[in-house]
Amino acid sequence: MSQVQSPQLEVQGVTLTFGGLNALTDVSLSVPQGEIVSIIGPNGAGKTSLLNCISGFYHSTRGRITFGGHDLSRAAPNVVTGYGIARAFQNLELFRGLSVVENLLLARHTHLRYSLLDSLAFYGRASRQEAENRAYVERVIDFMELEQHRAHPVGTLAYGIQKRVEVARALTLAPKLLLLDEPMAGMNVEEKEDMVRFILDIQREQGITIVLIEHDMGVVMDISDRVYVLDFGQLIAGGRPAEVSADPRVIEAYTGVAEEQQAVGA
Amino acid sequence: MPASRFTQTGNYRTKYQQDQTIFATYAEQLSLIVLIGLLLLLPLILPKTMLRDVNMIMIYAVAVIGLNITTGYTGLINIGQAAFMGVGAYATALAATRLNLPFFLAIPIGGLAGALVGTFVGLPSLRLKYLYLAVATLAFQIIFEWGVGHTPLLAQGGAISLPQVQVLGVKATFFNHNFVWYYLILPVLVVMGLLWRNVLRTKHGRSLIAVRDNDRAAAAMGINPGTAKIMAFMIGSFYAGIAGGLFAYFQKAVVIEDYGLHISIQLLAMAIVGGLGSLPGSFLGPLFIVALDRIVGSGSQWLGSLNIFPAGVDAATALRPLSFGLAIVLFLMFEPRGLANWWRLSRLYFKKWPYKF
Repeated sequence: MSQVQSPQLEVQGVTLTFGGLNALTDVSLSVPQGEIVSIIGPNGAGKTSLLNCISGFYHSTRGRITFGGHDLSRAAPNVVTGYGIARAFQNLELFRGLSVVENLLLARHTHLRYSLLDSLAFYGRASRQEAENRAYVERVIDFMELEQHRAHPVGTLAYGIQKRVEVARALTLAPKLLLLDEPMAGMNVEEKEDMVRFILDIQREQGITIVLIEHDMGVVMDISDRVYVLDFGQLIAGGRPAEVSADPRVIEAYTGVAEEQQAVGA
Repeated sequence: MPASRFTQTGNYRTKYQQDQTIFATYAEQLSLIVLIGLLLLLPLILPKTMLRDVNMIMIYAVAVIGLNITTGYTGLINIGQAAFMGVGAYATALAATRLNLPFFLAIPIGGLAGALVGTFVGLPSLRLKYLYLAVATLAFQIIFEWGVGHTPLLAQGGAISLPQVQVLGVKATFFNHNFVWYYLILPVLVVMGLLWRNVLRTKHGRSLIAVRDNDRAAAAMGINPGTAKIMAFMIGSFYAGIAGGLFAYFQKAVVIEDYGLHISIQLLAMAIVGGLGSLPGSFLGPLFIVALDRIVGSGSQWLGSLNIFPAGVDAATALRPLSFGLAIVLFLMFEPRGLANWWRLSRLYFKKWPYKF
């Protein structure tokens, strides 16, 4: 490692319990600024739970999560968003009846600074800020190549496009840290390649730190700066992609213990 | 540039600010101005009894816009809108009789009182959703009626009469009461409608719709769902309070019966028939429900004149609630998007008529 970067997101000893069941057990990891960090693991390993803890939808039973000096452990989701953390959901949580533009405009909520009285009059401040924001939204639409779907209700778009809108909406929040929960699930190869290109562009051009949950090992190993592996709510490995993929515990978690090894052990 | 700004069919906008406009073409803008102009002439041709109904429709329309804000746009079922109207009415009555304030101050005080109480009643919405919240607003309706009935200051629900108003030298009397109030209610309705239309194109309007559609995602967008819900209750009950203040003056007195549970249900019916979450629907709903009631009323008078019922039986007592209920059921079954959808479809038809492309 060339230099130690100041870590941005710090997860320290987080335990999440649902009525006696530990979804997460003593998970600690750090996400340095500007990196793509992937969290992998078998289904039900607790990846999304961890993301929910970070983004404020769950509050961890024990442990601490900090981001740039802010304590996220007890913060509400909208407060976490205010700190500069945006999230794209695994199961599309878009406003289906609204158009793409309207969905993205919603993400500008915290960037608009006018009062309800300005809204009622819609003159001067409100009108001007709305126009500026529309311009911002259009830049994101440009960046995510959604121009032709701009005015369509999101519910009518193809699944792959909806996934892209989900990422675009998170990006419109102008975050410092972007949490992507399986942005490529259910996509074909071409769509995956597009999405990978977008993720790399987001990181390189805009300098946004990315936490990625993904099942496609090829993608994860290719684009990640750092990989963490969760299994049954416990962190079993973490490090550079090459180190992680060679880790015997990781191989065991994914493929199970080979039969002859079991036989030898028994 | 399009050939004409009145009939343009394409999108010729070059600035985002132009995209914010409410009306797509000058023709649409002009049609609204013409409509308001015609409405200004309406009292000159309408018979007096119908003018009274039109006034009532307009006041209910203000309350229904408010109900649409909480229930239609934000998705918080509110079965206490009449009680919020009542809060406004009583506040207006007290301001007018105890403080001797003129009507143009007393009615806004009614609105503010409604907003204040609405904000407080909206607090359960932080914890409750859907039907459970509806029951909480129903509880407020009951508490309101009981509370008024036990407060000597509010005449225990009996009549508190309001003074007649004087506008621009014209004194409202027994003979021109409906006429004068028509010209006072119409501008209030137009302004209240425009204000809400403005809010709809800003972050505040969007945040309410976001909370209705998906409050998890709304929170992830940095919107505080609790604040949005409280705001919806605050604005919605402000509209109810203004409507209540108008109704108090319009009825010349405040009586608890005007703000009972059945009125809340009626307002909800107006919102549903008009189309939940639609501004044109907020005008069409009250129009439909009041007109239906009057038509059924005169229809049963005709039935009575046929002498097929025993003497002393009025068909209206049965037919009015029956037709009211039937209308709601039929709308829920066949046109859940309400009259606003018919309005939308007919506009779409005329936009392309005869052969624009």
